[in-house]
This record gives sequence, structure tokens and C-alpha cells, in this order.
Amino acid sequence: MSLTLILAASTALFALGTVMFISRKNSIAILMGVELLMNAAALNFMGFSYYSPAKDHPLDGQIFALFIILIAAAEAVVALGIAIAVYKEYAHVQADQLNQLEG
Amino acid sequence: MVQNIFFLIVLVFTLGMGLYVTVGQNLIRSAFALFFTLFGMAGFYILLGGDFIAMVQLLVYAGGIAVLLTFGAMLTAEVDSPFQSNQLFNGFWTFVSGVGFFSLIYYVLMETDWPLKAANYHEPTTKEIGRLLLQQYILPFEVISFLLLVAMVGAIFLVQKGDRQ
Repeated sequence: MSLTLILAASTALFALGTVMFISRKNSIAILMGVELLMNAAALNFMGFSYYSPAKDHPLDGQIFALFIILIAAAEAVVALGIAIAVYKEYAHVQADQLNQLEG
Repeated sequence: MVQNIFFLIVLVFTLGMGLYVTVGQNLIRSAFALFFTLFGMAGFYILLGGDFIAMVQLLVYAGGIAVLLTFGAMLTAEVDSPFQSNQLFNGFWTFVSGVGFFSLIYYVLMETDWPLKAANYHEPTTKEIGRLLLQQYILPFEVISFLLLVAMVGAIFLVQKGDRQ
């Protein structure tokens, strides 16, 4: 286990999330891709916090990972609310067919 | 040594489940694989000395967001035809670009020298995190709590608005 391996794992998760994000039409699947991206970012913060060369092991990176988790919770709640409202209106959540405002 | 073995197990588990999330054609199964991916991320956090963050990850992500996404998938996907619910779109080229992105960043990582210190700490981090949250990061902490409140109210409003029409 080293910082390079941690960052490589985080990069792999980021690439998987990006592929999920750009290759799906279902809004819920796009949301899952965003969750993977946010986890990759949080893993980067944790890795840099653990291997930090600063004195007395500052935990600022862990604080930022905490904030990322909370922001992801808020984002998931709002995005799912939008998805369910869209489903009530159109009976589907395919992102490529949602091209009307005030339709 | 033990740390390396656990790191390998967690790495294979998390990336395998993440790969299933990405390539799976069934949205419900992808949602369950996402749950296990988030579970594996908590394993990473434990290995990196973040006991409190790992517990928050389990509570908020694996316990909350993954269940919420599963509910969302079940409420909106075409449950009658589960194998059509999550089709790939330009799958080949997105995977090529994903592998290219990973290779590029991995090359940069391998070429970089980080100024590191061998880190070993096993004491609980809760006290220090609490001190930082209530002294240095008090403003972001309050902003986040307000953001969560606004998100809750906004989500309820959005769903209700769809109901009235």
C-alpha cells in the first residue's frame, strides 16, 4: 500500500464513474456514475491526508472527505426528487428524450 | 504485510464491483453492486486511518444513498424488462476513452515523486475531527447543515409539484 496505489485506485474509480456518466441514458444510472466520481475524490483526500508530510498528522483531508460525503447526500436527494417528478410527468427517465422546458 | 493483504482484498473487491456497476445492463443489479462498491470504499478509509469517516461512509453512503438509489431505480426503471433498463450507449468508444484516461493519469502518477512521510497512526481520530469541525471549519460545517436542510425541503417540494399537475 502506497500513495501511488491509492491514487491509482481512485483514478480507476474516476474512470469507471466517467464511463458510467457518459454511456448511459437512464438518469438514475447517470446519478450512480456521479456517486462513483465523488467517492474517487474523497479517496484522494483520504490518501493525501494519511501520507501527508506535515507535522502532527493534520486531519484536514478527512474533514474534506466528510464534506464530500454530505454534499453527495444532498445531491442524491435532489436528483432523485427530480427523477421521480420527471417520471410522474413523462413516464420515463431517459435523459436523451428530456428536451422540453415547460412542456 | 497484513495491511498490504487487506489493501489488495479491498482493492479487488471495490474495483470489481465498480466495474460491474459500469458494465451491467440491469439497473437494479448495478444499484446493488454500487452498494458493495461503497462498502469497499469504507474499507479503504479504515486502511487509511479514518475510522470516523469510514463509519460515516457506511451510515450515509452504504446505508442511505445506496438504498435511496435502489428505491429510485425501482420506482422509475422499466421493471418488466430489467435487462433493457440500463443499456450502454456508444459503449466501445466510452470504454476506450476511459482506459485511455486511466492510462494517462497512471503514467503521470508513476512519474511523480511525492514528498512523503511514512505514516502510522492508529489512535481514534474522532476527537481531532470534532475539534477541527468546531474551530477551524465551523463556517463550512454550518453551510453544509443549511445545504442539507435546503436539499430536503427542495426534494419534497419537487415531488409534490409533480403530484399536483
